[in-house]
Amino acid sequence: MGILQKFKQMFSTVPMLGWFLGILAAVLIEYFWGYDYISYYLGLPKIPVLFGALIMLKEPVMIPGALAYDLIVYVIPVLAVAKLSCFITNPGAALLEKLPLWLSAVIHLVCFYAILHLWAGINDYRVLVVKLTLVSIILTVSINVINGYQGEFSCSHPGFMALGAYVSSILTLVLFTNDKIFGTALLPPALGPYLFPLVLVVGGAAAAIGSLAVAIPSFRTRGDYLAIISLAFMFIVKSAVENLNIIGGARGMGGQPDLAPLPVIFFWTMLCIWVIHNFVTSILGKALNTVRDDEAAAESMTVKTRKTKMTAFMFGAFWAGVAGGLFAHVLTYINPGMFSINRLAEILAMVYFGGLNSIVGSIVGAVSINVLGEALRPLELFKWIIIPLILIFVMIFRPYGLISFTEINAKKLLEAKHKRQQGVSP
Amino acid sequence: MRKIAVLTVVAFCAAMMFSSLAFSARKTIIKIGINAPLTGDIPKVGEGSKYAAQMWLEDIENAGGLEVGGKKYEVELVIEDNESKAESAVKANTKMITQDDVLAIVGPQSSKQAVPAGEVANKYKTVMISPWSTNPSTTLDRPYVFRGCFLDPFQGPVVANFITEEFGFTKAAVLYDVASDYPKGLAEVFKQAWEDKHGAGSVVAYESFTTKDTDFSSQLTKIVKSGAEVLFTPQYYNEVPLIVSQAKNLGWTGPIVGSDSWGSAETIELCGEDCYGLFFSSHYAAAGAKGATKAFIDRYEKTYGYIPDDVAALTWDALRLAQQAIQDAGKLTGKIEKDREAVRDALAQIKDFDGITGKMTFTEEGDPIKCAVIVRINHQGEYEFYGSSCP
Repeated sequence: MGILQKFKQMFSTVPMLGWFLGILAAVLIEYFWGYDYISYYLGLPKIPVLFGALIMLKEPVMIPGALAYDLIVYVIPVLAVAKLSCFITNPGAALLEKLPLWLSAVIHLVCFYAILHLWAGINDYRVLVVKLTLVSIILTVSINVINGYQGEFSCSHPGFMALGAYVSSILTLVLFTNDKIFGTALLPPALGPYLFPLVLVVGGAAAAIGSLAVAIPSFRTRGDYLAIISLAFMFIVKSAVENLNIIGGARGMGGQPDLAPLPVIFFWTMLCIWVIHNFVTSILGKALNTVRDDEAAAESMTVKTRKTKMTAFMFGAFWAGVAGGLFAHVLTYINPGMFSINRLAEILAMVYFGGLNSIVGSIVGAVSINVLGEALRPLELFKWIIIPLILIFVMIFRPYGLISFTEINAKKLLEAKHKRQQGVSP
Repeated sequence: MRKIAVLTVVAFCAAMMFSSLAFSARKTIIKIGINAPLTGDIPKVGEGSKYAAQMWLEDIENAGGLEVGGKKYEVELVIEDNESKAESAVKANTKMITQDDVLAIVGPQSSKQAVPAGEVANKYKTVMISPWSTNPSTTLDRPYVFRGCFLDPFQGPVVANFITEEFGFTKAAVLYDVASDYPKGLAEVFKQAWEDKHGAGSVVAYESFTTKDTDFSSQLTKIVKSGAEVLFTPQYYNEVPLIVSQAKNLGWTGPIVGSDSWGSAETIELCGEDCYGLFFSSHYAAAGAKGATKAFIDRYEKTYGYIPDDVAALTWDALRLAQQAIQDAGKLTGKIEKDREAVRDALAQIKDFDGITGKMTFTEEGDPIKCAVIVRINHQGEYEFYGSSCP
């Protein structure tokens, strides 16, 4: 424990900007020397794609090589650069602090995206994993509004996702592609990237309208009833799509234009996090929490419970629809089987693993389940034993998830550390 | 600070010392990717593909590698699990192509994974041979995607013709899974073919259910009452036994006919005597096989303890096709993009390939022209050759 304390203390002076610089250094090392020098001399066939997890599980002989690679490329440069650059990053962070918080946050996000882009760009498999992880983040954060902040148990998220995915796919197929089912493109395909946000919003709106089908009949009651009705809704959507031959039925629908590159998805994810963060910290969000804790008391304190619940539900569904639209355009193929009980289990696992009532928790949950799912891929069947086991342990030791009931404090996260040394008065 | 630094250095040195592969040069290895459903709904299909691939690798290793242009190359299999899910199949293909640098991919087996995965393979210009996917859109407009089996539009009429000629029936019933791509497509094709033969309304019952349903009694009651003489059900091995036994309990006496999805080794295991005497169309028949087919079956049975199903046989053929294409490519440059293109061109040129599931020649679309086999489940529970139908 002593060493860990010391370690923590040693790096407590590093601001967020310093960590970014460290990671940037690591990514640059990987980018320029990773393949030709470092992985070559360590006897690795290629740059280990997910920090060597895949290669280590597949060929145990490679474990030392992969670990050494992680150490040389990631651990040492990140720590060293982060620590040594303190003298420059702390004044830099102090400078950014003088700007309005939103501007400072945007600058940080741009830096973060640049690093992510560079890191993922080394291998297309990484790009795909990052894309799907970002989509999962939107899904998890949006279901947290309903299952966390509102305290209901909704099971219809795959259904909303399917609505968003199908509506936006149909729109892009009709508008921008020469398709076998829908005929020639109505608009020049070059317009696609510009109108894509609109398409996603329409997909989200479709999901939000669909959510009324669950909300109106079920919100007179609470708890189990909503779970059952929402589960039914999910199956209704799935069966409806399966029986609609015009949109491919069970065969699925393919050929969507590739309109969702990494920057687009990153932008939407950040937008989603920002909007949902504002939503849950607004008065409406507080009202949502009171409804969760005691509906009758909230009602007597002039909270319009019904309206509050409906708004939150539609809001969550909207973002699930957006996630569905992005998902469809990442894979460029969808079929109704994708939006079934398996997907529901995955979404629920992510949100309960990460933590209820917390956006950070949702992000942690989505990232860890996705990365774990990919990293343990070589284990085949055992993957499906290990991941549920981890979930069970989380439920035993932290019943509300890893990080629950805490919010991001952007100001604290981005501020300069060790102000006294920098000469800035506390 | 010092402690940490020392620890890091020690850890690093230890890692380097134990790394036996350190400082070894990279060489050109031929990697073949296998994208198979090892977990999920149909693990037996994944197992068959994996075993067939391992047998193929054994052959290559015994020969000391694969000889291309007078030089022997080491061959490696990259087996990835697609969990029987579309997005997982896409991830697996992307990983194998961009990370493992495979020269060609065999799989995925089911159409719902092969269609999206084919898109990836085509995008990265890598040859993909799906041994078992019968959906036309898998290979449509995709020059880099091939398949090892015939298509649904061919299989449906074959079954319809067989029933008409064998039994002389005119009224048929169909029971299929509306939520699954393959059964639904084949049911439609069969209905079309049957009605073309016997006139509209000759399919007297056209009943559907949804994946994971286990009780078919309401649909089967309708079918029994409809006066149909034969029941066609293009389902997978996990549903066939339930359908057959429930149909018999409800008083169905006519024959039940299936499609190539019946061909799994599990079907008879789960179904038992209820399935004896039934027919299905398939890619090959295990009982009474001759020549290379028999050699393959015997060897598989000896190694893994059961008779291989059609997936294993088709995977074997797909791998041998890939091998042939690589050898025909002439030489390997070591530049993976160039080699992939050469392999693709060579594969498209292959004529009259002598596979264990029949002779194959590829069309423009990458679909093989090959014969279908009608298989009878005999009273020893073996899949016996009954007749064949060629295009």
